[in-house]
Amino acid sequence: MSVTVILFWLLSVLALGAALMMVTSKNPVYSVLWLIVVFFAISGHYILMNAQFLAIVNIIVYAGAIMVLFLFVIMLMNLNAETEPQKNKWLKLAGAVAGGCLLLVFVAALRQTELLKLQEVNMSGPTGLIRRLGMVLFTDYVLPFEIASVLFLSAMVGAVVIGKKGD
Amino acid sequence: MNLILFSALWGVVMMFSGLFISNKSTARTIALTGAFLLLAANLLEMNGYSVINHDFKGMLQFERFNMLFLTVACGSLIIYFLLSSKEIEAVGNHVYEYFALIFFIMCGIGLVALFNNLLILFIGIEIISIPLYILTGSDKRNLKSNEAALKYFLMGAFSTGILLLGIAFLYGATGSFQVEKMGLPANDQLRIFLAIGIVFVMIALAFKVSAAPFHFWTPDVYDGAPTVFTSFMATIVKAALFVGFLTLFYNAFSNNYEDWKLSVALITALTLFIGNITAVFQQSVKRMLAYSSIAQAGFMMFTVFAINDMAKQGMLLYAAAYCLATIGIFSVLIKMKDYTFDGFNGFAKKQPLLAFVLTVCLFSLAGVPLTAGFFAKYFVLAAAVKTGTYLWLVIFAVLMAAISVYYYFRIVQAMYFKEGEGQDIETTPLFRIVMIAIAALIILLGVLPTALLNWLTLY
Repeated sequence: MSVTVILFWLLSVLALGAALMMVTSKNPVYSVLWLIVVFFAISGHYILMNAQFLAIVNIIVYAGAIMVLFLFVIMLMNLNAETEPQKNKWLKLAGAVAGGCLLLVFVAALRQTELLKLQEVNMSGPTGLIRRLGMVLFTDYVLPFEIASVLFLSAMVGAVVIGKKGD
Repeated sequence: MNLILFSALWGVVMMFSGLFISNKSTARTIALTGAFLLLAANLLEMNGYSVINHDFKGMLQFERFNMLFLTVACGSLIIYFLLSSKEIEAVGNHVYEYFALIFFIMCGIGLVALFNNLLILFIGIEIISIPLYILTGSDKRNLKSNEAALKYFLMGAFSTGILLLGIAFLYGATGSFQVEKMGLPANDQLRIFLAIGIVFVMIALAFKVSAAPFHFWTPDVYDGAPTVFTSFMATIVKAALFVGFLTLFYNAFSNNYEDWKLSVALITALTLFIGNITAVFQQSVKRMLAYSSIAQAGFMMFTVFAINDMAKQGMLLYAAAYCLATIGIFSVLIKMKDYTFDGFNGFAKKQPLLAFVLTVCLFSLAGVPLTAGFFAKYFVLAAAVKTGTYLWLVIFAVLMAAISVYYYFRIVQAMYFKEGEGQDIETTPLFRIVMIAIAALIILLGVLPTALLNWLTLY
């Protein structure tokens, strides 16, 4: 077994285990923390597939920003065992049915794809490399890339105008 | 490209001058300088002097029509600043930031007018929308303003999502973001995705220009926002979004005309109907103007329906006529305390000059001959007749224009024929001169529409 294969199995076990822990843990804050572990494991998979940019964005955006937002919301809502509303059992049933349907769709869709079975995905290509992406961003897409800074600047000005105290 | 560059830069200049200059009223001077700079830069580019002479691998196009519209937008911006920049100061503490946001919006307007790639269209619409959410909510102590900003933000974010979904479908069907590739899906199976994409993009853009049935945010947002910013977003911004709408459908989807013709016709009819009928029942002039802007959007939808060269001419005239008249009316309304129709009672005795200018503006909005509004309406309707189909739509529009006369003339009637005190409003000589200039421009365009349209072909 090569290092890549060992890493693959390690990350897969980590991702699945953490995902299970996330779903089963009682405390919502623990759930969020387990979810962060899942994201890191998935980022590891991305790196194995030579997709550096996706891996880093996944960590910055999902594991960083969005998870912090989740944590804040959960802490602000002050969820714990006492304040938890009684869960409706029909709601649970509906959730199970909806989740099962999604699973069915996924299985059905993946079972029929001939491509996945026949073709070995080329994981050593340069497509996902940051260097490659940077080249495209600063040549073909330089205008949208630069002009997006005006968008963010105006959003920042807006945040200051709205958020500043004193008027 | 000049306009995009300079407006972004001038926005930054405005922000930093707010840091170093404590005097609030200097902001007006700097902003006015910036507006003149934008106009000059744009005129220079029309004559071939561009700072960056590059179309970024076909992402921008510099058609005469779009450049000329940007000139009209810059001119309207100058008039808007001359008339109303004092009221921008009165909105809150962040005067320089408000002006900076307006300049960022001008940058977005440049992108929306000159795009040739759906990415640029998307970024342009976002650069227009996000500062508008903030300007809507800039009167922080006013609950109505807060409500309007929140409503606008949530609905606007949702419609942006729909726009992105549409663009994703278009990309899936054609494999490109370039506008000129939109008409040619890779094979017949993908045609359906092209149609879905067109519908989603149409819905999102109809929302942004407040065409029915996606207009529900308009009255609340226009009514709740500080009046001086309502004036800006109901005129220049709306016209710019329409130019984007028309350019996209003209350049990208004219091959699929049969697919979307009926939908646009229905949107047009519904917008005209809802805008005009609801405006009749309003008691507040500000809210009436919000509904009237929906009604006027109905007429501008005709250009998207017709997509021919006459439609482009009509769009230009309509943008000029509508911006001039509406900015004029709003600039007087901002100075008033009482926004109801009764507030205008006896206004003609107190301010005969302003009452006359207001009358010219209202005549233009209603489309009375000898004003710019008449030829604007004539051109858009003639463009629709030229397509040779859906004549009922044109007849319906003329009927609706007749209804609009009722609520526009209510103000005229209140000003001239009703007894009343007349509200005191303070005006400077400059204000009066600019108002006279507006009336003169409206009448000039009403007599000689070619004064503007000749620029389309003149080099």
